Amino acid sequence: MSVKIEVIAGGVPHDKIMIAGLVSTLVCIYLTYLNAFTNTEVFSFFGGLAVVAALIWGSHTIKVLCSYGIGTGVPSAGMIAFGSGVIAMLLATKFGMLAPIVAVVLAAVIGLILGYVSNNILNMKIPAMVQALTEMAVVGALTVMGFAAMITGGFTFTGLTTSTASFLGFPITSYANSFLGGGLIAVAFLLGAIAIQHPFNACLGPGWKQDRMLMLTAECGFLSMIVAAVMSFALISAGSALISLLVAIIGWAYTYSQFFEMSKRDAAAWLDSKPIPDTEGQ
Amino acid sequence: MSAVAAKPTAGGAVNPAAMAVGVVMLIIILGLTYTISPGMGVMALIGIVIGGVMIGFGTHFVPVGGAPAAMGQAPGIATGVAMLAAGAGLAGLFGGAWAAELGIVVAVVTGGIGGGLMMAITCMMVNFVYVFGMGIPAASGKVLHDPITGDSQAEYKSQGTEGHGLPFVSFVGGVIGGILAGAGGTLIYIELLGLYEATFPTLMSATPAQVLPVAVSVAGMFAVALFLVNAVLTAYNITGTIEGPHDPKFKRWPRAIVASAVASALCGFVAILIVAI
Repeated sequence: MSVKIEVIAGGVPHDKIMIAGLVSTLVCIYLTYLNAFTNTEVFSFFGGLAVVAALIWGSHTIKVLCSYGIGTGVPSAGMIAFGSGVIAMLLATKFGMLAPIVAVVLAAVIGLILGYVSNNILNMKIPAMVQALTEMAVVGALTVMGFAAMITGGFTFTGLTTSTASFLGFPITSYANSFLGGGLIAVAFLLGAIAIQHPFNACLGPGWKQDRMLMLTAECGFLSMIVAAVMSFALISAGSALISLLVAIIGWAYTYSQFFEMSKRDAAAWLDSKPIPDTEGQ
Repeated sequence: MSAVAAKPTAGGAVNPAAMAVGVVMLIIILGLTYTISPGMGVMALIGIVIGGVMIGFGTHFVPVGGAPAAMGQAPGIATGVAMLAAGAGLAGLFGGAWAAELGIVVAVVTGGIGGGLMMAITCMMVNFVYVFGMGIPAASGKVLHDPITGDSQAEYKSQGTEGHGLPFVSFVGGVIGGILAGAGGTLIYIELLGLYEATFPTLMSATPAQVLPVAVSVAGMFAVALFLVNAVLTAYNITGTIEGPHDPKFKRWPRAIVASAVASALCGFVAILIVAI
């Protein structure tokens, strides 16, 4: 029934990207757990790196899925990824230190069932559908969890719903001033959802190159990380948030310049036009 | 993938075996919910499933045109289902959320009005742009006469297109879809908010006033997530574009009802698990 419209060979195979993405995301999320061991918040920036790793994997999954003519536009794939992912992520945070693993398993189950629903009940009959929706739910869950770890310094339900504020010198527990209570999760949700769907949407076509698209994904990921780092000033110490911000800005500047180079490389002709010469006053 | 190249891929056929599996999955999830949280959890899940089905069914009414509509080659609003759902449906959800404390009926009606109003404004401005900006009349490509006004369509349709603009029946369909989707989204939010407001204080050992922000945020996030899942599944059902209730693709709605019910029950079950374990 479905016809694969564009087949683009070459580049790193998808399975390799998937395994590398899953492992590096989990490792980075668990590295934020060093916060709990060392009783600091300086390792929060690893959450942002987990986001970038997960997004790179996710945008390649979207490429695999959307190469078939699903007809609904690329953004819809990003939306369903995060819609199913955030549900799994919120339940997984209840499991304490096991949260990232539980998130992966739970999101995979949800994605598998959604894949079955769209492929069989809705009769999409796209070979990559089940696997792609499974992967994307996992990516969505891990991305939101990475943002949570970066903004709050942890990924447990208690850490996401409470924060300690000082009122007249007395420490009080605040529920409104937290990742969930303050609604920061909605921002994290859309930061990730836009970053995951944009790269393939922007790079698709006959001139698609894998490295260029993945570099754009990393650039979008670091751009989202800058915003998340700014938000993290509210919940973690200023020094730790500053580290996150610096890592994000350096990563963004590097990936953006690399993406610019690759765009010039793949352009049919590149003319570096100079500004209009200032002839006045001569 | 350009929407022009990716026209209908999936057919309109119903897969009876998969539909049966879907219904069985729905019953299993309802049974699981009954075992972990009889009473409150089951009531919330039933509300969530009804809300999800309303979103899925309502999205069929919305005239989604996609990229061809942006070029004036197909009727409908020139964007994808995910964007329309996020714009129009969430407007209804937010509207209903404001009225949450006035009771479920008022809130759901408010949500429906919010979604319908947003779609009415969107449809009107879209036709303004089509008629006065692009200079094209509204004409359906799927029917010869508008089912509501009886106006003839064929004379106004340009050759080589599937119609263009937003005929009256599409406008009405958009408003109906907005009302259904907005009300469904609000119903999901209200059910989850009631559940969380009742269970979070003991779960987090805090006063109801303290956990209210968390309950609102988590319920809202789940409502948004369920909304997007249902809207995208419906988008898959209609393969991206539909003209409105007069479109032949509209007849595929039974599949979407089952799909939305299963997906909503699954996601709702996970949402209830947060307070049940």
